[in-house]
Amino acid sequence: MPNIRYANMSHWKTIPYKKIDNFRDFYYEDKTNSAYYSDWDNILKYQSALGFDGIEIAPWDLADILPLFGSPENFTAFAKDRGVTVIGMFHGAHASHALDHFDEAVRSGREAVDTIVQFGGTYMNTCPTQNYYGTGPLSREEVQQCAKVMNEIGSYATDHGVKVGLHNEFFCAINMPNHRELIELTDPKLVHYCIDTAQISILGEDLLKFYDDYHERISTFHLKDTASANLPDSVRYAQDPEITDDGTRWFWEPGQGELDLKGLYRLLKQHEFKGWMSIEYDGSPDMLASMAMTRFYLDNELRPIYD
Amino acid sequence: MNTAAIAISLDLINRHFQEPNRNRYESRYFWEELYPLIAASGFSSIEIPYEPVWQFGGRSGVPFNRYCVNTKYGSAAQYRKVLSGSGIDRVTGITFDPNLFMRNANLDFYFGATGHFANEALAHAADMGAQYFAISPSPFYGRIAQYHPDLESMQQAFTDRTIDLLGGLAAKAGELGVTLVLRNEYWSLFGGERILPLADALPDTVKLDLDVASLFVAGVSATAFLEAQIDRIGCVHLTDTDFVDTHEVWKTPNPEFPGHHATQIFRDPGTGSVDLVQITALLDTLNFQGPVICSARQTRDPFRALLRTRAMLNQLQK
Repeated sequence: MPNIRYANMSHWKTIPYKKIDNFRDFYYEDKTNSAYYSDWDNILKYQSALGFDGIEIAPWDLADILPLFGSPENFTAFAKDRGVTVIGMFHGAHASHALDHFDEAVRSGREAVDTIVQFGGTYMNTCPTQNYYGTGPLSREEVQQCAKVMNEIGSYATDHGVKVGLHNEFFCAINMPNHRELIELTDPKLVHYCIDTAQISILGEDLLKFYDDYHERISTFHLKDTASANLPDSVRYAQDPEITDDGTRWFWEPGQGELDLKGLYRLLKQHEFKGWMSIEYDGSPDMLASMAMTRFYLDNELRPIYD
Repeated sequence: MNTAAIAISLDLINRHFQEPNRNRYESRYFWEELYPLIAASGFSSIEIPYEPVWQFGGRSGVPFNRYCVNTKYGSAAQYRKVLSGSGIDRVTGITFDPNLFMRNANLDFYFGATGHFANEALAHAADMGAQYFAISPSPFYGRIAQYHPDLESMQQAFTDRTIDLLGGLAAKAGELGVTLVLRNEYWSLFGGERILPLADALPDTVKLDLDVASLFVAGVSATAFLEAQIDRIGCVHLTDTDFVDTHEVWKTPNPEFPGHHATQIFRDPGTGSVDLVQITALLDTLNFQGPVICSARQTRDPFRALLRTRAMLNQLQK
């Protein structure tokens, strides 16, 4: 068994079919490649064929997945039949910094944990609060409130066999000035950390130093590259900065950006990391090509360092 | 038929389903490149689907709600200037469907959120200078049944609350000078001719949409529907399909993607089985003067769809 197992964070947009039995007919209707991206049967097979045997789903997938499959358990069984395990779900802890939102933030977090348990997952990577724009800068009390919510959700999650991992976006109200402060305010037994390699680098953290400093807290990774480390406040704190007006991409497939991912893998070896690593392809125009490109890079550049 | 006045719906851009290169649809540059291409294909007016979802999660590059327009352009007036500068002289209408809000068993949530955003969308329609605001009065029948298995027994209560909601919108639409139009998609609780009792319960100012493909799917004659309802047709959607629903797909949670047999229900105009020549001839005969819109929703290639649609309209002029 390798030390690292690979998953994909699901960035597929809505997949409308479970399984297309009349694939040839469907293709011939307009002879485009839409048919190749229209059912979970094939999407999961693509993953499995490329060696990604885990999938991390997103909460915004639920409105489509649940009517399609009937229940989380049905989706999990369907994925398992194709060699893919549901490892967890992303969660956004909206307004967790707000004192008057405590009950709602905790309730929402607990519900997400319950959903993950239904899917058979064990990870809940959680953005600690909403975007900086319109919210930040947070006061020390608001950061403390955010930590209080995380600890509360983390306690419930731990009791249910789920690991909560803080996951910081570069445009979150938890940002460079209070990123480590929030981590330090949370209980290490209950709240872990998911390193999104690109997001924290764009935020301004040094990827290798951050991992070295917090390696004992790391539950999972979101592995992706960037050519935009250390973006200025004016970009990170802007309104809706994730999707750019001109099509500039913040995120790239591993090896297509400028991060020292080989250095990261040497540290993973040093600290003997064991667990799941989710690859993220947000921003990719072609998820299948990105998956294959990533698999080649993993097998030829990163896994030889630490597997 | 004066095809120069026919609008094209921006629903030809696939915002929600996976396909290669789909991500570009979330960036402002894509839309600003699109508008001159729409004009180049002979359309100077558009219809815009109002989609609150782009307000959430920072996806304001898709100009389909007030938040996004204000974020990227400052105001509806500024956005209209950008459209005009690209050859789009008019936003003919705004459409709205409430499927986003049918996501749990809480009907107060559904009606609260639908009412809030439909009112916002109606005001946006006025700001955009639209002639009509076309609302789907229910989510997918099967999506309601997913969360409310007792749908049949609670249908009257659901209808009553819908009438209340639409009545409020009708009053506001009157104040704003926008025509409120009811859509009757085949998948709706009020699909096909099931829309008629709902329309009867509302003021005469509320009109009906004629979506020819949707009626075709439901097995309803579009020409008969048009002749019978001509006095209250508020807008016409020229849509195309090859699909007739013989398996009650309309009652399933994903009615635009039949689970038993994958198919593209809405075909590019002119490539399906709907007799668009006949329907446009009848519109002329009945002297229909309201807005006519072409829609290529579900197209697998929006740029080919634009030209296919123009080619179809050119045939109407022969």
